[in-house]
Amino acid sequence: MTNNSGPTQVIAAASAATDSDLMLVERTVAGDQRAFELLVIKYQRRIQRLIGRMVRDVDLVEDIAQETFIRAYRALHQFRGDAQFYTWLYRIAVNTAKKTLMELKHDPTVSESSFRSSDDEDETSRPRNEPTSDETPESVLAAKEIAAMVNAAMEALPDDLRQAVTLREIEGLTYEEIAVMMNCPIGTVRSRIFRAREAISAKIRPMLENQIGKRW
Amino acid sequence: MSHDKLLDHEQVSALADGQLGGDEFGDVLAALEKSEDALASWHCYHVVGDVLRSGDLGDTRGDMAFVSRLRGRLAFSVGLQLNDEALVMDDFRVGQVLPDAAVAVSNVLSSASANDSSGRWKLIAGLASMFAVAVFGWHFSSGDAALGAAAQLAAASGGSTAFVAATAQTGATGLAEPPVMLRDARLDELLAAHKQFGGTSALQMPAGFLRNATFDTPSR
Repeated sequence: MTNNSGPTQVIAAASAATDSDLMLVERTVAGDQRAFELLVIKYQRRIQRLIGRMVRDVDLVEDIAQETFIRAYRALHQFRGDAQFYTWLYRIAVNTAKKTLMELKHDPTVSESSFRSSDDEDETSRPRNEPTSDETPESVLAAKEIAAMVNAAMEALPDDLRQAVTLREIEGLTYEEIAVMMNCPIGTVRSRIFRAREAISAKIRPMLENQIGKRW
Repeated sequence: MSHDKLLDHEQVSALADGQLGGDEFGDVLAALEKSEDALASWHCYHVVGDVLRSGDLGDTRGDMAFVSRLRGRLAFSVGLQLNDEALVMDDFRVGQVLPDAAVAVSNVLSSASANDSSGRWKLIAGLASMFAVAVFGWHFSSGDAALGAAAQLAAASGGSTAFVAATAQTGATGLAEPPVMLRDARLDELLAAHKQFGGTSALQMPAGFLRNATFDTPSR
């Protein structure tokens, strides 16, 4: 059930959540750091994957991702919501990675193999089967296990729940659009999506806790 | 799961979809602030969404460590006035990904300002060096003046050359009397009686430097 059709769906899914991101940004600017952490939890995997396509060094990927979020945090008061938050964050990540790579290129102790061509920055430029730098055999296995569990949980869902969560997560539709398509009230859509997520979460949460080591 | 908890988590789910506003938004944020369970749900829902869209985003092993590390770094950096903040802002105000050339220029600028804080220490060190040179210069020049004055005085009084030299030297050192070596008379007698041992240390090792420290009679 896992959809691997690429960034188009990612962007589409994110578009409906732009308001939520903007509200979290506003809360952060007002001094609520937890709101920023919610954005970090939401986007860290995508940002790390993006950077992993520009940089070969595994340790460097996390460092650049950290720097990306710190720069974003400092510049957050300039985010006006003209673009989606992820688009804005994406630019910061790419610029931060480029700057880091430029600095490393002037460092004689760093080998060329630490970085990829900057042409690789585009999320669509990498062949799907080529691993990114942050993908170790363990990480690939962990990702596969989670994906298999999510797919199995999706298969086990009742049709209405599966349809609702698919329209939301993969097609990126809003609750209103889903309500029209499924011919039901918005409240029902909200409830169905939540129940679907809970059912899947119940399956993967123990695995996540094993991966993470402890609770948040 | 209790009814309240279920409601909280449904709100977390709705927040993840950008469907909350007003008071409900504030309530959920407050719940996320207090409840680890709600935060775990926020994380879990996003992992589910990421995995459904792209199967390779399922590795969550570093997620918590990443957030913890970032939390620490943010706490540290929030209190600092950031020198490069304006530069960072300009980068992102452009609205586009920076070209390599712009990044290179920006790197040069940022690297030039990276150690600006050490500049003031260079200034302080320079001033301290100049002060030290001035003190030494004044000291030596005043010493030379004293020597010159003493020589002038000697020439005017017509004293002996030896007296002039001695006075000049004492003028330079600030002593009024000719130099006197203070020695123990008994030690002198002892050394005179046993001068054959003067070149040998207690360990019977040659020690030429001790010879210079021993008493030497004019007859030798």
